Amino acid sequence: MYTSLTNRRSFIKKMAVLSAMTAAASMFPGILFAEEQEKNLPKGGNLDWKKAPCRFCGVGCGVLVGVENGKAVAVKGDPKSPVNKGLCCVKGYHAVMALYGKDRLTKPLIKKNGRYVQTSMDEALDLIASKMKETIKDHGKDAVSIYGSGQWTIPDGYAASKLFKGCIGTNNVEANARLCMASAVTGFLTSFGMDEPMGCYEDIDHADVFVLWGNNMAEMHPVLFSRLLDQRLKRGVKIIDFATRTTRTSMAADKSIIFKPQTDLAVANAICYEIIKNGWVNKSFVEKHCNFSKGLTNMGYGLEDKYKFTDKPEKIDFEAYKTFLEDYTPEKVEQISGVSAKDIKYMAAYYGDPNKKVMSLWCMGMNQHSRGTWINNLVYNIHLLTGKISTPGNSPFSLTGQPSACGTVREVGTLTHKLPHGVVMKKEHREFAAKIWDVPVENIPSKPTYHTVEMFRALDRGDIRFMWIQVTNPMVTMPKLKRYRDGAKKEGRFIVVSDVYPTPTTDIADVILPSAMWIEREGLFGNSERRTQHFEKMVEAPGESMSDTWQLIEVAKRMGFEKQFYYKKETHIEEIYNEYRKHHDNKKHNMAPLEVLKSEPGVLWPYVDGKSTQWRFNAKYDPACSNGEAFHFYGKPDGKAVIWQRPYEPAAEEPDEAYPYWLNTGRVVEHWHTGSMTRRIPVLHKAMPHAYVELNPGDAERLQIKTGDKVKLTTRRGEIVLPASVNQRGVPAPMQVFVPFFDENLLINDITLDSFCPISKEPDYKKCAVNVEKV
Amino acid sequence: MRKRLGIISLFVILFMAFIWVWNFSYQTGREEAYVPIDNNNPVPVIPSETGVFERSEYALEYANMPVDEAHQRSLKDYYKNRAFHGAPPSIPHEVEDDRNMGDNSCLKCHQNGGYVDKFKAYTPVVPHPEMVNCRQCHLPQQTQTLFKGTNFHKVEAPEVGTNNALVGSPPIIPHQIQMHENCLSCHAGPGAPKEIRVTHPERINCRQCHVPNNKEMTDIGIFKRATSNE
Repeated sequence: MYTSLTNRRSFIKKMAVLSAMTAAASMFPGILFAEEQEKNLPKGGNLDWKKAPCRFCGVGCGVLVGVENGKAVAVKGDPKSPVNKGLCCVKGYHAVMALYGKDRLTKPLIKKNGRYVQTSMDEALDLIASKMKETIKDHGKDAVSIYGSGQWTIPDGYAASKLFKGCIGTNNVEANARLCMASAVTGFLTSFGMDEPMGCYEDIDHADVFVLWGNNMAEMHPVLFSRLLDQRLKRGVKIIDFATRTTRTSMAADKSIIFKPQTDLAVANAICYEIIKNGWVNKSFVEKHCNFSKGLTNMGYGLEDKYKFTDKPEKIDFEAYKTFLEDYTPEKVEQISGVSAKDIKYMAAYYGDPNKKVMSLWCMGMNQHSRGTWINNLVYNIHLLTGKISTPGNSPFSLTGQPSACGTVREVGTLTHKLPHGVVMKKEHREFAAKIWDVPVENIPSKPTYHTVEMFRALDRGDIRFMWIQVTNPMVTMPKLKRYRDGAKKEGRFIVVSDVYPTPTTDIADVILPSAMWIEREGLFGNSERRTQHFEKMVEAPGESMSDTWQLIEVAKRMGFEKQFYYKKETHIEEIYNEYRKHHDNKKHNMAPLEVLKSEPGVLWPYVDGKSTQWRFNAKYDPACSNGEAFHFYGKPDGKAVIWQRPYEPAAEEPDEAYPYWLNTGRVVEHWHTGSMTRRIPVLHKAMPHAYVELNPGDAERLQIKTGDKVKLTTRRGEIVLPASVNQRGVPAPMQVFVPFFDENLLINDITLDSFCPISKEPDYKKCAVNVEKV
Repeated sequence: MRKRLGIISLFVILFMAFIWVWNFSYQTGREEAYVPIDNNNPVPVIPSETGVFERSEYALEYANMPVDEAHQRSLKDYYKNRAFHGAPPSIPHEVEDDRNMGDNSCLKCHQNGGYVDKFKAYTPVVPHPEMVNCRQCHLPQQTQTLFKGTNFHKVEAPEVGTNNALVGSPPIIPHQIQMHENCLSCHAGPGAPKEIRVTHPERINCRQCHVPNNKEMTDIGIFKRATSNE
């Protein structure tokens, strides 16, 4: 009998499957009768498991939620998810408990004579719509604003953008991702012309060396870090922790290198210097695929109101770039950064070795940086010079901190200058969006208005009179918080807050709307590796809680935009997602259809011809490459990525005599962001009940401070007293302190500085000058 | 003369050809082969086998070990520090070193267990010692007070022995086995809760007789047989 090769192959495959089944059946004789046995299963033994992306960070782990009698009762990792392969972190394992805090908001509250009064959802929504109309009439369109979040689901962000930009006609749309991802975005745009990583998490399984740039992955992205550790166990990969503080990540790494705050700029340039000096440049790659540019320097720090900056890129050649790097020899940089020339050469040698695949990983250390865009550019420089990019295992990878910072804020474009496809400044992009939104193109203003910090400044000044805050807690997270809290409380401001628990932000609200969170509604998140994930509604939301999407739709209808907000209650998520997909209907950004997302543990965009694109800009994997070469950086008009000449510049406020210490802020593994959810999970709160200040043991000894002692931190913005932590979770370098920001009772942001990267407008939470005293 | 020139040019051509071939093979040799990692994990037809036979080298010791009745752990204690059954347990004792990874701290005791005089108890054995970032999932508790109360409903843990298919037949595994595929770490040895300690650890191949919970698998209809009635 004749069988073709393919048939034979599939036949063998089938036989293999069959024999595996037979073997399995014989190994577990009971398996055939499992159904019978299941009948006798005890209560609680068999839950109904449904898939969802985790509610917390940007890793986007697939979880399975166990539901019993209409309550979410258990979580386990989804073994089918390629993100986490069945493993979660402690927040993920207890995520469902965030739904059941005792003080959950269930009814809308309206502030009347200084007290909150319960009301009906209808009345609250009526009030919001009429207040918005009134504000627009009295103060103009640009007096109303919405401030959302990277925890917005894709439909939430889309509805907000459509309502404010398309229907009302103001670009006052911002999101808290400005405080966490903006520098990554501008880094991608300036270097490649297109946002979001070219690689994916599978790079971890191919890379030989991992360089973590100011990224305490062991606590902040533990599931991915465990994947690194797993690879080290299996393949002996190297992990280099390049940071300002000794953490669990440093302890687990093969090498820990400590640098002085802000000097990562100099070290990155020194690595490039070494690469060029030693002839490790991938010449053909650079010639074919890269341009060299420089921008403006001495940009300032955005400390003053109405600060404006626009970069002026200027093309340069390789020789000019080489001359510029002369200032960054490892020996010179050793003086600036405190990193020994030997260590700089050590890192450069790994990046330069053509036989080593290198992955750079970073998150807030590089993004919350007063030169955030620059340091992003500089790390891309290293990968571009060596051609280690867009191939499996060679990957500069920007991690995210929120479940849909990528999916909603960056892809839907809920930032003042953005549209779902393109930017408001370009006429063709406005026309394209207006057509899908079914609004006149004149509705969408061509000028961006306020970025986040400036938006809160405008609220303080009175330029903005109405603000709707959804799924975020700015009264804990804004830097130099006191100014913005006082500003929001001023007369004549109307603040609406949609949230699930009372927070310091609901304290400044005139109307509080109870939201349905996560699996209490249907939604979609997009994670760091461009993976879009869908989750269905699994349990009922308490009381009158309503999803943020539906809150926006109800208000839009009340403002007279029924035509644009035609969605039906039962199918609105599907309708919105299908409409949203039209904005990205091209090979460079196509999103997968909803049916696919429902059946799979997420899909990477661009999704072309039924396939995810794992490595963008690489012709082998990315069908959007069209220049006939191996790589095509199609985000830029000439198809070439940009190597940027960016110098080292000091931070906005460096330690001096009066304030001799650096203050660094961040997270801990137990709590997620402002803790409004994780602190209501008993296991997590009991493990990490309050904030603390970490001191270097040497400093602590000199100041005679022991763990638990009260320590006063003073900056030019104010003071705060915290318990000390010496030699516990982390060890800051001498003359530095670290404070986690999750604790609403010990608000470290009251004393941080609101300086930001002039290009991305993202504040630098990692650096300001502080004085430390024992009290 | 011409002949010599011909021979020389022949060798030159051959040499150039060799250089070209050598260069080509060198260049392609340097290109990394991409071996795709099967991302779309196959549907788990049967529960993971990883760790099934782990710790079986101690099985005989477990079988011969006298039971130290004074220092046994009970199932109640076992569930007490879990938010729900199947949740990662919290750490019920103080942790001195908050910064190190498992192989340098937790695993020193929890890899193989043993009696700890300080706690008057036997150390429970970790079923997944290869995962060393322990405090990614397990946390020591610093306080007993709550930030705000909770309405989370802790469902009852499944009981053992109530679910035998027939009288006297081996009980099926009533719990999820993901992350604890290694049976002996919890069901044998002095650190095991007394109610679930197996009487016959030496048999090693546990799932020869004990079927795992069926819901963990995806039913793909392979074993269904059409009945004649339909």
